[in-house]
Amino acid sequence: METFGLTLAAILVAGSPLVLATLGETLTEKAGIINLSLDGSILLSAMAAFVVSVTFDNPWIGLLAGMAVGAAIAGVLGIIGIYLGQSQLAVGFILTLLCRDLAYFLGHNYSRQPGPDLGLWSIPGIGDVPLIGPIFGSQSPVVYLGLVAIFVCWWWMYRTEGGMRLRAVGESPRAAFGRGIRVRLVRLYYCLAGGALIGMAGAAYSLAVKPGWGRPQGCEGAGWIALAIVIFGGWHPVRAALGAFFFAGLQVSGIYLQEVFPSIPAPVFQVAPFPMMILTLLAVNLGRMGWMQDIVRRHPFLKTFSKGWSIEAPAALGQDFDPKKGL
Amino acid sequence: MNRDSLLAQIGWVCAALGLALFLTILVAWPAGAPPFETIYVLFKGGVSSMSKIGRVLAGWVPLTLCAVGLLVPFTARLWNIGVEGQVIMGAIFCTAALRPYDEGGALQIALAIGAAMLGGALWALLAGCLRVFGRVHEIFSGLGLNFVALGVTLWLIFGPWKRPGVASMSGTQPLDMSLWLPRLGKLSVSWVGLALAIAATIFVYILLYRTKWGLKMRAVGENPKAATLFSLGPRRRLLQAFMICGALAGLAGATQVLGVYHRLLPAISSNYGYTALLVGMMASFRLPLVPFICLFFASLNVGSIQLPLQLGLDSSLSGVIQGVMVLSLFIVQGLRLWLRQRKEAD
Amino acid sequence: MIVLNDIHKHYGRVRANDGISLTLEPGRIYALVGENGAGKSTLMRVLAGHTRPTSGTLEIGGETISHLTPTLAREKGVGMLYQDPLDFPAMPVWENFQLGAPKRSKQEVVDVIGELSYRLDACFLPDEPVSSLTVGERQLLELLRLLDLGATTLILDEPTTGITPEQKQDLFDLLMKLAREEGHTIILVTHKLSEAFEMADSIFIMRQGALVATLEPPYDEKELVHLMFGDAADGEVEALPELPPKDVTPRLTMRDTLFAGPKYSMGDLNFTARPGECIGLAGLDGSGQELFLRGLCGLDRMPGGGFDLDSATYRSNDFATLRKAGVQFVPADRLQMALFPALNLMEHITLAFPDKKGDLTDFYQSQCVDGFNLRAHPDTQANELSGGNQQRLLLSLIPNDTKLLLMEHPTRGLDAGSARQVWNHLKSRCAKGSTLIFFSPDLDEVLEHSHRVIVFYDRAIAAVVEGDDISMEVVGALMAGKSMEDIKENNS
Repeated sequence: METFGLTLAAILVAGSPLVLATLGETLTEKAGIINLSLDGSILLSAMAAFVVSVTFDNPWIGLLAGMAVGAAIAGVLGIIGIYLGQSQLAVGFILTLLCRDLAYFLGHNYSRQPGPDLGLWSIPGIGDVPLIGPIFGSQSPVVYLGLVAIFVCWWWMYRTEGGMRLRAVGESPRAAFGRGIRVRLVRLYYCLAGGALIGMAGAAYSLAVKPGWGRPQGCEGAGWIALAIVIFGGWHPVRAALGAFFFAGLQVSGIYLQEVFPSIPAPVFQVAPFPMMILTLLAVNLGRMGWMQDIVRRHPFLKTFSKGWSIEAPAALGQDFDPKKGL
Repeated sequence: MNRDSLLAQIGWVCAALGLALFLTILVAWPAGAPPFETIYVLFKGGVSSMSKIGRVLAGWVPLTLCAVGLLVPFTARLWNIGVEGQVIMGAIFCTAALRPYDEGGALQIALAIGAAMLGGALWALLAGCLRVFGRVHEIFSGLGLNFVALGVTLWLIFGPWKRPGVASMSGTQPLDMSLWLPRLGKLSVSWVGLALAIAATIFVYILLYRTKWGLKMRAVGENPKAATLFSLGPRRRLLQAFMICGALAGLAGATQVLGVYHRLLPAISSNYGYTALLVGMMASFRLPLVPFICLFFASLNVGSIQLPLQLGLDSSLSGVIQGVMVLSLFIVQGLRLWLRQRKEAD
Repeated sequence: MIVLNDIHKHYGRVRANDGISLTLEPGRIYALVGENGAGKSTLMRVLAGHTRPTSGTLEIGGETISHLTPTLAREKGVGMLYQDPLDFPAMPVWENFQLGAPKRSKQEVVDVIGELSYRLDACFLPDEPVSSLTVGERQLLELLRLLDLGATTLILDEPTTGITPEQKQDLFDLLMKLAREEGHTIILVTHKLSEAFEMADSIFIMRQGALVATLEPPYDEKELVHLMFGDAADGEVEALPELPPKDVTPRLTMRDTLFAGPKYSMGDLNFTARPGECIGLAGLDGSGQELFLRGLCGLDRMPGGGFDLDSATYRSNDFATLRKAGVQFVPADRLQMALFPALNLMEHITLAFPDKKGDLTDFYQSQCVDGFNLRAHPDTQANELSGGNQQRLLLSLIPNDTKLLLMEHPTRGLDAGSARQVWNHLKSRCAKGSTLIFFSPDLDEVLEHSHRVIVFYDRAIAAVVEGDDISMEVVGALMAGKSMEDIKENNS
């Protein structure tokens, strides 16, 4: 039982950066923008967070620095993609490569150096509660930040007027414009907000989950997984967060499985998240395939199952909108 | 499309270069890099001696192979991000084909090259099938397979193909000299590699712009739905586009194994796949520009090797500059568009 | 009172609105008529603040403004209802209603919807996504929303396309009430003269970007037609060709066919068509007519049943096979679905006729220019062509020996002259033996050009009507779900 609790605790820690990144990208994509720079952005903000926290000997300032860097990168993407009309995918991809190289270039001198990390928080009272105590009682602050972020994103998206506007802009920018919403500004805003969360995820890596900076940095590839989880999660914050924890769970169990099966080479476990990513994306598209639909039609009781399975992207995802062209 | 005068176009290109220069200095400054000295070292590093030029050309070959290969799927509006993994797969298949041979000659080399192209094509076909039949966007399938290919390489190098005695990051058992690609004089580049890269460029040009096949591929990229209505078989063509790009990428992997490193190692693809994507974007996927931009990027790569030695800087700077250049191009394109729209509105 | 002063709207060289001035008074219903491409929608979008005019001013309630924004228009009480409602299909009814309005809680919004629905005898479930509503219901919801926002000037852009005649009558009654009792200004943009006659206190006629006349009742139809179409009004539409005798081998025989599309499936289809027949499909959006066409050509799956084409039986509907066998499909959305925007005409010809080798310039001349009057340089790109020319190009790409021609909305967005040419061409194909099955959201078009009409309701064939039954009353009622027996009973 205790091992189970410890495992869940490990999943929470390993998954929190992924959750933060996924939530950030969910916000951005819900507004209709795809931020492909996610992977490089995590690396660059991880480096920035570490460097700043070493310089000021304060990991919290480092965390803020990471968020600022993430938001700035997303801002660059936002302005070039939204206001200058260039391809979001192309610019995002360039930025991901650029930020990765920039992170290694600027972080050169800080490689393998020790630095402050965010430590642990103990929430008084919870630690003693029998079942959830060992899991939630004493954790890295990023875990709590992640959990709070899940709730805040969900509440904002579905229970506030601002969230309604967010969804409107991603569904039909023309209709949103007709209702007097400033589409491009709203999109840029959520680009920045999403970027800040992505930056927080990067900082979480270098200040909590795998403190320090090195080459290669441990979180390489995490951004691409986060992008896939956004789709897997159907662009819904809670579902996406669950997807992120699911992946983290796979990674944690991979570590245990590696000990149990030493004959399987290490690289298999290292790259396992990526075929998993492809499989989840395949699974998500399953409902739309012809042969699957035929099966569902022949067995109507499967219909309820397939309804929950299917996902709908924001209708205007990745599409440009120019208010000057009018409607 | 471009109604600006030639002078205006040149002006915009200069603006892009100027912006790139400015941004490079801006981002290099926090690392404490003296800007002009850094640029000097970078550019000198590529051209300062014949041997350096040879290395630049050796880097130009795989980069060009990948970049012209990418033009094919791009014509169909596909992003073959998996090109990096296809290079690796080509290298793996090439090494595998030569495993039974302690020594050999032109026949074995040709066999290995064929195997490499097959390997790259198959890996690309996998990404293509995921896209066409599984509706998994090629960004995800490509990237996922890139990481998988890397994993396979690591497994082979530390597992079945490890060097007798010690398994190390420096790769598999080196190939016998009879299995190396012949060099161009004293330069470290192989004339076979150069010939292949030039041939590939001409091949892609003819294929895309001088054949009906190319027209049909362009049609598929323009409008896949209409392509179905015209019975063009868009799915089949998309897979063909992936495979051709994969074959050329595999060929690049072969030149890396046979001509540069003479064995399989983890970094066999040297990021050429991703860099080729940047080249393509920078050339706006116009074929005539591609070989020249490849030359420029290759010389940056070679020059950057000097940076840690001479200036204590990380060699990633070349990647930073490449990224900044393409980004500047997009920014300038965007500004042009924005200005033109402002003019039309008035 | 609203005055439009010398409104110009140019898109590059195209003058969508060329110096238009008109006055709108409260309590009146205006019709803005003109054929497709006359500039009516553009002008109204200027009024609603969805587009900025190139020059000109608007005077609303005494205040002169150079241009409106959607927010400003709402403040001034102007609201526009599009043909395809500008709403958010994936979001629930109450959110669609609330977006753009001053802040309210969900409960307040639900109450307002309930009250408005009660007054107008409608029923909306607040949490259902708007995508589950019919086009008519979505329109009504939009209208309610505009009224809730305090719109006193209502612009309706082609509101009657895609709704049943019954829904249309309800809408018109509502508009009458709003104008006469509440003093609202109503502007009805339409290309259908009958609607203008029925409703309008005054008719504005636009042609090629200019306001050519303003008419007051009593209306003279001939004068109106002449003002709308100019000299092109004098074209003649050919009559429907004669049908071959009944004992000829049928062109199409469907047997318990089951079609499955991405959103729904439709089964137990049984239908027979003769060579040379023109068959029209009628039905509300999503009733099955799109799936019918797409299934017959092979774009959507056929998991069950089969059909015969002349004497050949098909148990599976592979697109390429059917195309070779003479089945051609022409979608409504020309540029998005049927043409290659950046490819030029020569390249389209090369792709459409792969068996012809060598230089195709002569073929282009005979096929496109002589055959279809497509007067454009072969180097022109498809996206540079006008709507009429795009349709001519599409038709010229269809082989002459096509057996079964399936068309989604043959005259979408075309001006009257082009539309007439298209129908004359289609009828000559039928006269030579091709079978045409077409759909149009414009019921008049379906009724005018069909030997028989298949009416769809709720994803099934409601009835197949011919002869005297091809009328607005019968078809309209069938579209709305009434059964044939009920209709016959009502008539007798």
